[in-house]
Amino acid sequence: MSQTHELSAEKRESVGTRESQRLRKEGKLPAVLYGHKLGTEHIMLDAKEALTHFEAGEKVFELKLGGKSETALLKDLAYDYLGRRIIHADFERVDLDEKVTVHIPIHFRGDAKGLKAAGALMIHPASDIQVECRVRDMQDSLDVDLSHLDVNESMHASEITLPSGWTLMSDADAVIAAIQVKKEEAEGEEVEVEGGAGEPEVIAEKKDDEDESKE
Amino acid sequence: MAMMPKRVKFRKEMRRARDRKATKGNFVAYGDYGLQALEGCWLTARQIEAGRIAAQHFLKRQGKVFIRVFPDKPISKKPLETRMGKGKADTDYWAARVKPGTVLYEIAGVPEDVSKRTLKRIAMKMPVRCRFIHRRVSA
Repeated sequence: MSQTHELSAEKRESVGTRESQRLRKEGKLPAVLYGHKLGTEHIMLDAKEALTHFEAGEKVFELKLGGKSETALLKDLAYDYLGRRIIHADFERVDLDEKVTVHIPIHFRGDAKGLKAAGALMIHPASDIQVECRVRDMQDSLDVDLSHLDVNESMHASEITLPSGWTLMSDADAVIAAIQVKKEEAEGEEVEVEGGAGEPEVIAEKKDDEDESKE
Repeated sequence: MAMMPKRVKFRKEMRRARDRKATKGNFVAYGDYGLQALEGCWLTARQIEAGRIAAQHFLKRQGKVFIRVFPDKPISKKPLETRMGKGKADTDYWAARVKPGTVLYEIAGVPEDVSKRTLKRIAMKMPVRCRFIHRRVSA
């Protein structure tokens, strides 16, 4: 089971963009807590403390709010437009025995044997998978062994060995990792690009020509 | 050869607003590291190609470079010594609309230090300030 981490929170009385900006300048992180039909609470966290936990991939927290404690699941993180800073966090109230759908980051382990071939390259389109599990059984990350993967082979989401009690919610055929051999390409060679030389075909004009011919 | 669309709906296009921030295509999606534009611009097909060649020369067949922008905007230009009027000019070149925050290139299959040096070389070919980024922390 993933450890439940303590996080101290304070209630915020005023909400809105300007107020949130002011809080961020003071070293706080605006957040919201909802779920279990108990209404929404606007809260603020200590940014430094919270970001340390978020960057470590932790998801289940024991929020200390106004003398009481609530178990909460980190549901969403909002970034600024450059993706530099986390500007807001969403928490959902949960019970430890409740089933939730979460994204779990994948960590690749082992050296794939296909990577020893010349020009071999590992492509991993997904960096996490979506699973359904009890909060109690949740992990911060999932280790996936790739040592058996050979050249031109791929690993799909359905091939991942999940811990007991977990159900895969991602597309079972989704490629998690693949070993590809890069095409031989001379230095400075021009790759085949979309489109061709000259003018592109104009779809709208083609229709006009057809109309004229009908008339 | 520079990139351009295969077919378009209309031959010419209006300029449109350039001052918005990127709300999509602003995080690393395919590779391990990326090059993010910090300013907006029209990135020409030639500039995109120059970046790709710079990366290819440096990487020497290692890793994979993903180009995240495509020049699908026709930019028209009147010939020299032409009087104003007589309609919109013909397309001169193709450009990609880049907003602050757009990821321009991504790289996979090479260590971080090599990726950093490669993307720095690409950044030298770009008409805007850029920065090196990693994949995001997911919630």
